Amino acid sequence: MTNVYIEGIGMTKFGKFVDKSMKQLLVEASIEALEDAGNPKVDAVFVGNFMGGSIGNQEILGALVANELGLGHIPTAKVEGACASGGIALRQGIMGILSGEYDTVLIAGVEKMKHASTADVTQAINAAMDNESNEKQAGLTFPGFFGVLANRYFYETDATKEHLAMIALKNRENALHNPLAQFQKPTTMEEIMEARIITSPLGLFDCSPTTDGAAALVITREKGAIHIRSSAQSSGPTQMQDADDLLSLPAVRESGRLAYEKAGVGPEDIDVVEIHDCFSMTEMLAIEELGFFNKREGWLAVEQGRTKATGDKPVNTSGGLLSRGHPIGATGVAQMYQLVQQLRGTAPNQVENARLALAQNLGGTGSYSTVHILERL
Amino acid sequence: MKVYQCDQCEYASVSNKYRCPSCGTGKLQERDVSSKGTVYSYTDIHIAPAEFAHLAPYTVALIQLDESKAKVTVRTDGNVQIGDVAELDYVEDGAYIYRKC
Repeated sequence: MTNVYIEGIGMTKFGKFVDKSMKQLLVEASIEALEDAGNPKVDAVFVGNFMGGSIGNQEILGALVANELGLGHIPTAKVEGACASGGIALRQGIMGILSGEYDTVLIAGVEKMKHASTADVTQAINAAMDNESNEKQAGLTFPGFFGVLANRYFYETDATKEHLAMIALKNRENALHNPLAQFQKPTTMEEIMEARIITSPLGLFDCSPTTDGAAALVITREKGAIHIRSSAQSSGPTQMQDADDLLSLPAVRESGRLAYEKAGVGPEDIDVVEIHDCFSMTEMLAIEELGFFNKREGWLAVEQGRTKATGDKPVNTSGGLLSRGHPIGATGVAQMYQLVQQLRGTAPNQVENARLALAQNLGGTGSYSTVHILERL
Repeated sequence: MKVYQCDQCEYASVSNKYRCPSCGTGKLQERDVSSKGTVYSYTDIHIAPAEFAHLAPYTVALIQLDESKAKVTVRTDGNVQIGDVAELDYVEDGAYIYRKC
């Protein structure tokens, strides 16, 4: 268990913001989090970001935040872990407090992607692959990786494309109630099933979008209402061909196991969950790997509506990456924003009396995973 | 097809590693095996990054090799299904191009 608490949260709307710079988004979310925390003295800043350098030509994000906010000569850093950059930035802040070095840390995550062409963004995202491998040279993409997983999952179970569509629809329905979500237009099973194919069997609605946005947290050792019960991180294969079991994401499973062990709780104790649904298929595997449902049976739980906001294991009440949006470096921090709201009782799609919450953030082809478990005191 | 087989346990991979990630103690030994194998899974990629856009749509498959525990990611010449038997046709820019047998 940690002695770290979340005191403040902030988040911009997710979507397309041509008139706002990455720095503006970062500062906006950070100020909101600081105000929410009552403007404490900050000892360090960690910023999660993936492609600010490659498609925005902007680095030194930690120093930018410290300067724009007038935080003084405090240490800062940018943390990169592909789509898990935000979760890893949070974990670095927690480790800094646990070490005794800091009392209060500002965590932020940001990405600005909508100004670049799809080809440029796809190319930049491919930096999260092992680019020397025969696998990358074969033309595998991130959606492609989860497409291969989905076809095998359909082969080994009775699941079909409709089960993936149910996940996409659920997350869209949740986003309709989240004013900060990127997608707020209702959709239907028919529209999802008939949408153009990105990489078989995944269609447009099975894939998270490109997004501009930022989120921020203030964490501190001073006891507060939202306790970070545990923080865990694990690594997994950087290539699909090295997966021992293709239908497993070992980094997710292992980070979940460690987080439960450190928190002294199990999957059955968790009231509300934010999972890294970069693709509908990723949510399917993650609900199994985190122990909420048996292996190869996640699709049954989806079919029974158990992961809906009204189900017994609500997953992605924010709308998830699929519909809240996926500004890569901000995602892991935005997950915490939603869960803190859930524990405060002020969330969109509020789960009644939620006390324990879990967030899981993934990077690469299952290369990085963080899990954080929060508790309302 | 070159594979790297652990000298202590069952682990095998098409890429070499400093030590065996499965048992943590073994060393990986290079071995030559037949490229022949079975399609374990696949996807037809319609939206590709700029460098592969001229190939789209194309199929990427994961092949379970017959003579090793290792799997290999390949591009196939034409559509495939899980269970199809395939083998290496040629190597192009570091990619294994497979065809159905």
